[in-house]
Amino acid sequence: MSAATDTLTLALKEQEEGLLNCVHCGFCLPACPTYRRLGDEADSPRGRLHLMRAVVEDRLSADSDAFQRHISRCLGCRACEPVCPSGVAYGQLLELARQVGGEARRPPLLNRLLLRVFGTGWIARPAMFAARMLRATGIPALSARLLSGDSTPKGARLGVAMLAASGSAGALPEAADPAHPASDPAAGSDRSSGNGTPPADSTPPAAPTAALAASPPPTTVGLLTGCVQAGLFSRVNEATARVLEANGYEVVPVPGQGCCGALHAHAGDLEAARAMARRNVEAFETAGVDLLAMNASGCGAAMAEYGTLLAHDDRMAERAAALAARVRDVSELLAARGPLPGAEVPMQVTWDAPCHLLHAQGVASPPTTVLNAVPGLEVLPLAGAQECCGGAGIYGLTHPRLGGWIGADKVRSVLDSGAAALVTGNPGCMMQIGAGLRLRGSSVPVLHLVEILDESYRRAGRYRPEVP
Amino acid sequence: MIPKALAVSLTGICGPDGVIADRDRLLVYESDALTAYRHRPGAVVLPRTTDEVRRAVQAITRHGLPIVPRGAGTGLSGGAVPLGGAVVIGTARMNRILSIDAANRRAVLQPGVINAELSAAAAAHGLYYAPDPSSQTACTIGGNVAENSGGPHCLKYGVTSRYVTGLTVVLADGSVVRLGGQGREAPGYDLVGLFVGSEGCFGIATEIEVGLLPVPEGVRTLLGIFDRIEDAGRAVSDIVSAGLLPAAMEIIDGPTIRAVEDSVFAAGYPTDAEAALVIEFDGLEAGLDAEAARAAEFCRCAGAREVRSAKDEEERLALWKGRKKAFGAMGRIAPDLLVQDATVPRTTLPAILKGISEIGKRYGLVVANVFHAGDGNLHPNILFDRRDEDELERVERASKEIMQICVDSGGTITGEHGVGLDKKHHMPLIYGEAELDTMWGIRRVFDPGEVLNPGKVLPEETDPAARASRDDGAVGEKPAAAPAPAHA
Repeated sequence: MSAATDTLTLALKEQEEGLLNCVHCGFCLPACPTYRRLGDEADSPRGRLHLMRAVVEDRLSADSDAFQRHISRCLGCRACEPVCPSGVAYGQLLELARQVGGEARRPPLLNRLLLRVFGTGWIARPAMFAARMLRATGIPALSARLLSGDSTPKGARLGVAMLAASGSAGALPEAADPAHPASDPAAGSDRSSGNGTPPADSTPPAAPTAALAASPPPTTVGLLTGCVQAGLFSRVNEATARVLEANGYEVVPVPGQGCCGALHAHAGDLEAARAMARRNVEAFETAGVDLLAMNASGCGAAMAEYGTLLAHDDRMAERAAALAARVRDVSELLAARGPLPGAEVPMQVTWDAPCHLLHAQGVASPPTTVLNAVPGLEVLPLAGAQECCGGAGIYGLTHPRLGGWIGADKVRSVLDSGAAALVTGNPGCMMQIGAGLRLRGSSVPVLHLVEILDESYRRAGRYRPEVP
Repeated sequence: MIPKALAVSLTGICGPDGVIADRDRLLVYESDALTAYRHRPGAVVLPRTTDEVRRAVQAITRHGLPIVPRGAGTGLSGGAVPLGGAVVIGTARMNRILSIDAANRRAVLQPGVINAELSAAAAAHGLYYAPDPSSQTACTIGGNVAENSGGPHCLKYGVTSRYVTGLTVVLADGSVVRLGGQGREAPGYDLVGLFVGSEGCFGIATEIEVGLLPVPEGVRTLLGIFDRIEDAGRAVSDIVSAGLLPAAMEIIDGPTIRAVEDSVFAAGYPTDAEAALVIEFDGLEAGLDAEAARAAEFCRCAGAREVRSAKDEEERLALWKGRKKAFGAMGRIAPDLLVQDATVPRTTLPAILKGISEIGKRYGLVVANVFHAGDGNLHPNILFDRRDEDELERVERASKEIMQICVDSGGTITGEHGVGLDKKHHMPLIYGEAELDTMWGIRRVFDPGEVLNPGKVLPEETDPAARASRDDGAVGEKPAAAPAPAHA
């Protein structure tokens, strides 16, 4: 073990109290997607914590195949955290373990390359531009359809399909009833009228216009534009800004912001993640916003934990914690305002909860509140909606076999749900599930939550200057 | 480590990803949920079918190695700890429900099916599986069969043995036998009854047939809050003496209440109380309210400062979640805990609870109690830190004394967690040599070579054959064939 590894092992040792919280009850086992599929306890949260503790106790080397393999095989979905009676901060421990593991043995080139691309602005921007150009040619979409055989490496096929899946879903179905033209603003304000297809188990939103009137100075929000989100999903960022404005928020530009560092932290590159966190704390502080709006739940979870990430930074700790406390998912912001109803979007969709929204941030009901507020939209149940899709940041690319297995199960339950579209709230999930659907030859589109609401508002004419 | 030839043949049976022989990876299998006992296995195999189990058993025994079956490793008596370099046969991949026969209220499943998932699957037919150990969201039915597991609702519904009607078992010699099944009354000896609770010493159950019950029409759940735990104990004793039959009666003491309320499973128990008593009645709607009212009255008479009743299903589930996750929540108080599992006559509960608290004080240990009060099944949790050797020593002595006062009051050394490794040495507290030798005789019928889960349940010293090679968890009769115990 090198001296550097010793220093880092110390970091894990500092967390020994966190590791000791685990009493080995095993309640986390059934929640873990890798354990459920592989059946090996070393691929369960309890087993991984056991390996971490063994490293701390000097019974196991961080360079060992066992530690490297099982720590890297974790999706980081954190489904184990809400079921842990002892409250083990698994996500944080995993990041430390990866830092220790990464120092002991250099991570594979692919991992390092991907992180480098996302984390470095001058590389990310042209790379994303090139990706967009490639996507525009239609080649990825075509290849995803043609490359169904086993001759192409799994990772490459998935990568191409993911790029294709990041594209726009195209037009959503229009209301069938001519009595309610899609552009009629009134259609949205009275959800009890319409053509007899009320949204499933929805409660009417609490008088949104009154609520708006009662909140005098508009809340200012700064949107994290993100790296992948800005690069491949700019339409989602634009839609997010529009729906927030429509609900009475003032979306303020935040210059100087960058990648949130989530992928780096998850991969154990905590120093890189801290540098990105510091930069974002400065940028959002300077912008002086009331709240931070997140439309990528992986980024939201990371920013909500900036306080912990920078806990040992004397200059930044308090500021980071204060900023983290103001992080909100876009679904929370919208649900807090009703949200304002729009016009009909008559289709059946199903909701897949991103792990970093449900498990890491504990945001469970706001997304369904938002969907239920869209007239004509029916939200069908999705079996295993709380389970990871296998995307997990760059996991789908670094572990194509296991990630593909988990992804295939998700795709099957999406198809079984009978929904015409899948809705979720994180770009990684959108690409992973979208790619899986394409590779299965399915045309079911994957949409971001705000895209549906945005379409509903557009049809209701909410974006016309004269409409409040 | 196992011989290379064995690793090769096991890989041929269970596939390369179904065999774990790497020393480091095996670390995670060194203990179950009772982490005080740790021994690294020689290997782990993860079969998928009865036939794979049969072939694995044959291959392992051909190399003279012992075998330990393992479900989810949630056991609390060290029952799944592999002594003597044993090979673990894990059932994690045998997790399919093979059939649910709703009309006959019966299900056939593989042993790795999770207890709560059986009930979830049966719910579609208006049925459920009654035994509900607190670990039911994680523990497997195979493990339940091995330990004859109980749970809060066993007060009214009985333990696992009442529900297992048939078994397919792989014996130590690799033969496959079918016990019970179909009709409940099989002629001849009740081998299913004998097998359930045999703690992995008689064979490996690879298919399990269980009975299911219809979901009760109505449920009433009460929460009594007490300032003294003895008063809660008295309420339990009075309720049963009066002839009421609640489905469950559970006591959660002050330290446990505070740990649970601090966790994500906060149930709304008042944190300044010294005991919370959860009482549940179920069955036909008619009469439930009257029963609940009588039980509430008994609580008040015994000194409850408040009796609440769950308004809806959500509140009811919260009350239960707090109880069922209590064991895990202890991790918030101390890094290690030893859960005891003694059963005493209900009427002695108040005195025993007081006795336990005195023992804890004398040894300077925190003892948290959360238990099936209706059955008199105590679970004193002794909290400690295994890095403190002096404390570890005190834990052992306190544990033994607690066991002694339970036995002295007419109780026994385990209610539902099994004997395993942890309580093996307490067996002579309740059995004489003749009884223990009888048990050894029965064990030899199933497993003459002591291949299956050796070193568990029965203390070696009572067995003449094993007296020669005791201690160290050595493998009884074949010390030459078995490698030295892999102490971690």
